[in-house]
Amino acid sequence: MAAMMQPQIILLKEGTDTAQGKAQVVSNINACTAVADSVRSTLGPRGMDKLIHDDKGNTTISNDGATIMKLLDIVHPAAKILVDIAKSQDSEVGDGTTTVVLLAGEFLKEAKPFIEDGVHSQNLIRSYRTASNLAINKIRDISVSIEGKCLEEKKALLAKCAETTLSSKLIGGEKEFFALMVVDAVLAIGDGDRLNLIGIKKVPGGTMRDSFLVNGVAFKKTFAYAGFEQQPKSFVKPKILLLNIELELKSEKENAEIRLSDPSQYQSIVDAEWNIIYDKLDKCVQSGAKIVLSRLAIGDLATQYFADRDIFCAGRVTEEDLQRVAAATGGTVQTSVNNVIDEVLGYCELFEEKQVGNERFNIFSGCPAGQTATIVLRGGADQFIDEAERSLHDAIMIVRRAVKNSTVVAGGGAIDMEISRYLRQHARTIAGKSQLFINSYAKALEVIPRQLCDNAGFDATDVLNKLRQKHASGEGANYGVDINTGGILDSFANFVWEPSVVKINAINAATEAACLILSVDETVKNPKSESALGEAAASAMAGRGRGPPRGGRGMRRRF
Amino acid sequence: MVFHMQPYGIQGLLKEGHKHLSGLDEAVLKNIDACKQLTLITRTSLGPNGMNKMIINHLDKLFVTNDAATIVNELEVQHPAAKILVLAGKAQQEEIGDGANLTISFAGEILQTAEELIRMGLHPSEIISGYTKAINKTIELLEEVVEEGSENMDVRNKDEVVSRMKAAVSSKRLGEEDILCPLIADACIQVCPKNPANFNVDNVRIAKLVGGGLHNCSVVRGMILKNDAIGSIKKVEKAKIVVFTGGVDTSATETKGTVLIQNAEQLEKYAKTEEAKVEELINAVADSGAKVVVSGAAVGEMALHFCERYKLMVLKISSKFELRRFCRTTGAVALLKLSPPNPDNLGYADSVSVEEIGGARVTIVKNDKAGNSVTTVVLRGSTDSILDDLERAVDDGVNTYKAMCRDSRILPGAAATEIELARKLKEFSFKETGLDQYAIAKFAECFEMVPKILADNAGLNAMEIISSLYAEHAAGNTKVGINIEEGVCKDVSALSIWDLYVTKFFALKYATDAACTVLRIDQIIMSKPAGGPKRDQPAGMDED
Repeated sequence: MAAMMQPQIILLKEGTDTAQGKAQVVSNINACTAVADSVRSTLGPRGMDKLIHDDKGNTTISNDGATIMKLLDIVHPAAKILVDIAKSQDSEVGDGTTTVVLLAGEFLKEAKPFIEDGVHSQNLIRSYRTASNLAINKIRDISVSIEGKCLEEKKALLAKCAETTLSSKLIGGEKEFFALMVVDAVLAIGDGDRLNLIGIKKVPGGTMRDSFLVNGVAFKKTFAYAGFEQQPKSFVKPKILLLNIELELKSEKENAEIRLSDPSQYQSIVDAEWNIIYDKLDKCVQSGAKIVLSRLAIGDLATQYFADRDIFCAGRVTEEDLQRVAAATGGTVQTSVNNVIDEVLGYCELFEEKQVGNERFNIFSGCPAGQTATIVLRGGADQFIDEAERSLHDAIMIVRRAVKNSTVVAGGGAIDMEISRYLRQHARTIAGKSQLFINSYAKALEVIPRQLCDNAGFDATDVLNKLRQKHASGEGANYGVDINTGGILDSFANFVWEPSVVKINAINAATEAACLILSVDETVKNPKSESALGEAAASAMAGRGRGPPRGGRGMRRRF
Repeated sequence: MVFHMQPYGIQGLLKEGHKHLSGLDEAVLKNIDACKQLTLITRTSLGPNGMNKMIINHLDKLFVTNDAATIVNELEVQHPAAKILVLAGKAQQEEIGDGANLTISFAGEILQTAEELIRMGLHPSEIISGYTKAINKTIELLEEVVEEGSENMDVRNKDEVVSRMKAAVSSKRLGEEDILCPLIADACIQVCPKNPANFNVDNVRIAKLVGGGLHNCSVVRGMILKNDAIGSIKKVEKAKIVVFTGGVDTSATETKGTVLIQNAEQLEKYAKTEEAKVEELINAVADSGAKVVVSGAAVGEMALHFCERYKLMVLKISSKFELRRFCRTTGAVALLKLSPPNPDNLGYADSVSVEEIGGARVTIVKNDKAGNSVTTVVLRGSTDSILDDLERAVDDGVNTYKAMCRDSRILPGAAATEIELARKLKEFSFKETGLDQYAIAKFAECFEMVPKILADNAGLNAMEIISSLYAEHAAGNTKVGINIEEGVCKDVSALSIWDLYVTKFFALKYATDAACTVLRIDQIIMSKPAGGPKRDQPAGMDED
């Protein structure tokens, strides 16, 4: 009430939340550390998975940082930034999402004591930026190019990268099997570089080992009408017609109406409708295509008609699959059956319908344009296959990046230890506060090997000391954590590889996020506007009483 | 009950429910206090080492920024006097596009000193007249400190542009200005028309794409559309372009109608004629030489089918503004209806291609030859808030370019100008007779705020810095300012930190105007907010 009498106190709108100063920076840091802690245990080959049960009752099991962050539904504004960088890492590189969150959390954690001691955050930010530039340049320096190798050799190298990614996932046990599959899939799409050309189909049942790669397109048998059984289910070198129209007996246009004055004409109209559909079907057959696919329905009349002429047809094929078939077979999707020239027909070596689990699959293989691949995933539970799909997506992205920027670095924490060592060494040449900050940045980088050890149940301090010693000796630049024995090993020689772009992007994004959070010294939260609140909440607001009644009472009290 | 509290005086004059505040204590000082509160928020964001603010607005959108214009805009300031400062900041933002923080902080500072003067016993009107004299003198003095020879500049010389832009950009993204400035300068110079005064800020576009980092930022001559091409043709080079605003589809009547079919023949023909019509149109478009069709609305399936057949790339731009810019980029004349285009109406682009950047598919329209139409600065960053902040930095840079096209005079930056002004203004104040003298002297002292905040934000000892600055300036080194990197005083011409004359001119002018307006107020009357039907509803539930 008093506030209403003194307008100067309400500088900002009623309900506005403000927080300011050092305490604000520290509380933001705490929030971010808490978020980082929640994904911490998923890092590395021995990382644990998280089961997330959302409000709709869906269960997700994942150890993909980006997926977890997305599902966590974070509302804290500062912590949200971490979600953003995980997403950005996911879209830019595809993997390393846990790493980036962990690094950002660790950078902030290291900064916290300095902030509490009264260091101006801009000083920290400047040092962090310098350190990140140094680190990135160092990665570029020591990365190894896989350019110029022959295809076979390159394939093996790419498979190693995929294996490193997969080893930290649920399907890590079968990493060699899937790594090859992923590399083949990525190489199949070639320079086209459109991710949606790699299809992943999930069929519950069987074991992981039953998964297979189709060098072409595969999709689940669509709904079919009577007559489908009579159609041949396998073709060698068929031509394929892709349609975007309905092959069904129905009215041509919604806004057309027929009015007859002469009842005898009625039959002719019925005939005309039949003529139209027969004309369409006839044109399909005349085009010479042996397989007819349509995005829209293919009715029972058409199914019968095609079956009589030894043609295979499938209606209601999803847009995605149809596009993929078009890309693979070199055909174009037609919206009209008139004037179908040979050019727009697709072509493939072999078409067959196959039983996979308890589903039937239409499989097109040996496609000339080649630019597609489909991975059919098998496995026990739905959640399991879902996670496997996410893991494969990560691996596919990694291989794509590795193909694009073909340099790799040693994984298993080796590169992090090496940068850390390099930065420590560099820090000694700096006079002033900056030395301390760069040192703590270097220390923060060690979180990766430390967490790898922790998650594997090894004594992190012990392993880290061994690693530091090895890296300091000058010739152990490629030494990382040995996840099997709890010791250290030459990661590079043991094919634990990561594309350098993953690390560069992770360090860059983590530093940017950390600097952003450090640079905030004030949070102002405006009350939500009524339009944003929606009607339900608006009624709750009403109880607080704004405007006239309250103002009026304030005045009356005054006099 | 009301009877016992029968209002009197002015209260009786006005409708019940209004608020009335008057006099020095109630109005002037409280107003000043509110303005001070506001500047407390913005001042820590001043300068290259300024801190960011995290603001969540009423729509739950997160802003992380140190751009004062954005901060005050999103703060939703309620206090009427503080609003005047906000308006001054906005005016500066609209006039120059940079320096809003200086405006608000400086206005807050001179109001604060005004408070001291009022407590000394000066009347607000004397303070106002003193301040007015002071600002007029300041403007004179400002002319004197202008760097010699800076009034003639080549707005197409990248180095000169960068040196003038640096201060504005580095105050937003410190340590990144070396990458950003050349990019912005490139973009601006490319679209700079023959008469630089006609430079249009709108011609420098910004495309924000999440992912990557600052070193992935680039400048594209042409436009970037944030969506994919519709058809399967994803890349065309040296293409003529036809633009249709109305969509590419079979024409339908606006009025609801039904096609009446009377016999079987008509029914059979119906579909065919429609198809033939579309084919004819698309064929005509293809014949005109166009390779790219741009639609402002939906593209019909039948039309798309024939576009594919005739190997036309199809783009859809649903935003009217974006479509207009696209026309400007390519020189195309937008056609209202799907009809065979006239060769004069066709646009041209060197290449139109779909590329994947950071997981998003974008269409890049490049046009090297057409010169000064539209350029796009591609910004990359790891989060949306970083990108938004980068965008504001680029906006400031572009606005600075616009300002320097009009007036290219520059002043020494890094608080060198402020200290010089403070020193000279103080001398001037001693020559004044009357009570104005105090106000002018105080006004001069206010300039110390800038070096003080710069030093404070950089974690330096402000008093030490200011005293050594005065010493240097008194010794005749008028271009000495703060070197934030090293924390010492240095000649700014060596550091090449320059501010634009116009930016400072308007910032100081607007700030003083706003402050004087606030000081002039001696009564606040707030009427009872109108009780519309919307407000009546909750009233029933209220405690009253």
